[in-house]
Amino acid sequence: MEAVLSHPRPRRQSFVREWVLTVDHKKIGVMYGVTAIFFFLLGGLFALLVRTDLLVPQGVFDAQSYNEFFTMHATIMIFLVIIPLLTGAFGNYLIPLHIGARDMAFPRMNALSYWLYLTAGVIMLCSMAGGMPDAGWTAYPPYSVSAKGAGIDFWIFSVHLAGLSSILGAINFLVTIHKMRAPGMSFNRMTLFTWSIWVTAWMQLFGTPALAGAITTLLSDRHWSTVFYNSSAGGDPMLYQHLFWFYSHPAVYIMILPAFGIISEVLPVFSRKPIFGYHAIAYSSVAIGFLGFFVWAHHMFVAGMQMSEGIPFMISSLVIAVPTSVKIFNWLATMWRGSVEYSVPMMYASLGFIGSFIIGGFSGVLVAAVPLDMHLHDTYFVVAHIHYVLFGGSVMTIMAGLHFWFPKVTGRMFNKTLGHVSFWFYFVGTQLTFFPMHFLGLAGMPRRYAAYAPQYMFWNDVATIGSYVLGFGTLLIVANLFWAAKYGVKVGPNPWGAQTLEWQVSSPPPEHNFDEIPTVTDNPYRPYDPPQTEPEANPTWA
Amino acid sequence: MFSSWLPVELTQMAHSVDSFFYIMLGVVAFFFVLVEALLITFLIRYRRTRRNPTGAAVHGNTKLEVVWTLVPAAILVFLGAFCVRYVYALQKPPAQDVTIRVTGHEWYWDFEYPNGAHARTLEVPAGTPVLFDITSADVIHGFYIPDVRLQQDALPGRITQFWINIKPDMVGHVFDVPCDQFCGAGHSQMHATGKVVTQAEFQQWVSSLKK
Repeated sequence: MEAVLSHPRPRRQSFVREWVLTVDHKKIGVMYGVTAIFFFLLGGLFALLVRTDLLVPQGVFDAQSYNEFFTMHATIMIFLVIIPLLTGAFGNYLIPLHIGARDMAFPRMNALSYWLYLTAGVIMLCSMAGGMPDAGWTAYPPYSVSAKGAGIDFWIFSVHLAGLSSILGAINFLVTIHKMRAPGMSFNRMTLFTWSIWVTAWMQLFGTPALAGAITTLLSDRHWSTVFYNSSAGGDPMLYQHLFWFYSHPAVYIMILPAFGIISEVLPVFSRKPIFGYHAIAYSSVAIGFLGFFVWAHHMFVAGMQMSEGIPFMISSLVIAVPTSVKIFNWLATMWRGSVEYSVPMMYASLGFIGSFIIGGFSGVLVAAVPLDMHLHDTYFVVAHIHYVLFGGSVMTIMAGLHFWFPKVTGRMFNKTLGHVSFWFYFVGTQLTFFPMHFLGLAGMPRRYAAYAPQYMFWNDVATIGSYVLGFGTLLIVANLFWAAKYGVKVGPNPWGAQTLEWQVSSPPPEHNFDEIPTVTDNPYRPYDPPQTEPEANPTWA
Repeated sequence: MFSSWLPVELTQMAHSVDSFFYIMLGVVAFFFVLVEALLITFLIRYRRTRRNPTGAAVHGNTKLEVVWTLVPAAILVFLGAFCVRYVYALQKPPAQDVTIRVTGHEWYWDFEYPNGAHARTLEVPAGTPVLFDITSADVIHGFYIPDVRLQQDALPGRITQFWINIKPDMVGHVFDVPCDQFCGAGHSQMHATGKVVTQAEFQQWVSSLKK
């Protein structure tokens, strides 16, 4: 280990050479991360505008602005934050390190993925000057065809580039994982995060082209007088919904599978135990990836299908809850008889993620049932559901991952007290914001409403106050991490005492990752020896 | 007053759907409490202390895996199969009914009654099946009646349907008919008012409308 630590640092390079021209997977991962955090703050700002509008029944802003706010919020969060953070940032940074490779298979294509993603983001930003899209992140025609202004065109162009970036990234991950594993690393010796990225990449590869087709035809209907979605000329608006959801339901799993992978890395380290049921967790990801392509029409139970046509999709949607619950039980069993350390990443992973995500899982079972969906569809109940999955699930996990790998990436430790304080703001804010939405949905308040009946005001106000708590928590987290990246206490290669390969090299790792490519003889989750001495000091700043 | 739970049940079907909701909610709540209780218990019981510095060397347990795969699978598939009959009951309109044609416009609902007369308010007779033929004149809307727990999107060039049979004791009840599929700047203002009337009142009201 000492030999690794004393590795000579290369001479400092210019900013352009070090970042703009880089093809190093770690630097690209960091660029993805920083860019996505910027968009996270922007998307969060739009969310706060949405919630502020709903403080009073008649709405604070005009309806058109409100529609633009929720469209920007969802588009940014899904296409520019969660997917790029999980695959682009965590995936890029970690996959070569986890499989014992020096870089991704196609480093230049990797850089291209990032720059395409950044361009997609800049185009979304341009729409703020040139007219924001207002058709929701789903952009259903005929509304999105007839909507005036350039907003939807910005949206289509941006989503297209983000999709292209995603496809290139997926190909890169697949080739890297298949061809570049260290000697001895069979699939069954890969980390569970690698498994999850592997499944995610297949889903991106198969799903994203459907979205590209949907929005290309949308663009064509808008500007070149085609009639794909014009029913009076023989087109069918439902075709768009099928294509859109054929991508966008798998996209939900694209946004949660890598998150599951992160949880599978964090829990064993802070339980000081091997992961419980390695194979069950790995194979259930594969099951989710496969089943994920057979549930899309559950978004369309009331969209004009015959009700009984929903039955097969209802059954597949219920069945996909099984591999998910298998994971939950295995994670709980990982903590069972462990030695649980209340570290900041562990708080996000255990109470934060498991505690919140299961609410989204269970509400998902309710809306999957066709008769219940007849009432709950397009109400706030669905809004609550998706936010418990994506916020209580994906974003909680992103926070766990950011804090967990922060010392690896920067070589420094964040302020742990502030980390715990911000966790509680985050956790309480999440529950306050999203739980009341279940009540609003049950009572029948439709989603995407800029104004609402007065009897819904109480729970809307609770949610809005919750969103401010959440916003404050987010600022604390971001401030803590950015401050610590420069001023945090320096740490060694393995401050958490973890076992996977990235912790066996220096923090941050050398450019070529490993001085010598490791030979792998076992799966990465082994029993922990009782500590001979005190574990490496976990410094809180003086 | 604030609403935070299921609204009034105008139909027997709404009551059946609510009963099914409570069964599902019960199952889901049981597992929710189970998982949260295990999570909190493990967090406290197995916290790191001087006497518990490291976790047990356990890698898994095949029996447990089989149990927690098959039990949720059985419960979920059973729930799915159980509600199939509700789906068919909801789907199959009764033979004799009053048909009201619903057309979504940006941003109002238009109702065409059996005699061809149009109105912007929805009056429905109690005690007899009423079938809605739903369509749209422009973009997609969502025809939703929370008090009967039903909705269908209103699409241009396509007719969607659902039917209701309002309980006779609900006569006089006034209900909201919102649009719940996003349709533009007037989306949240797109409501019609519905009213439950007797069949005699319904005939009288319909014939009083201008064709």
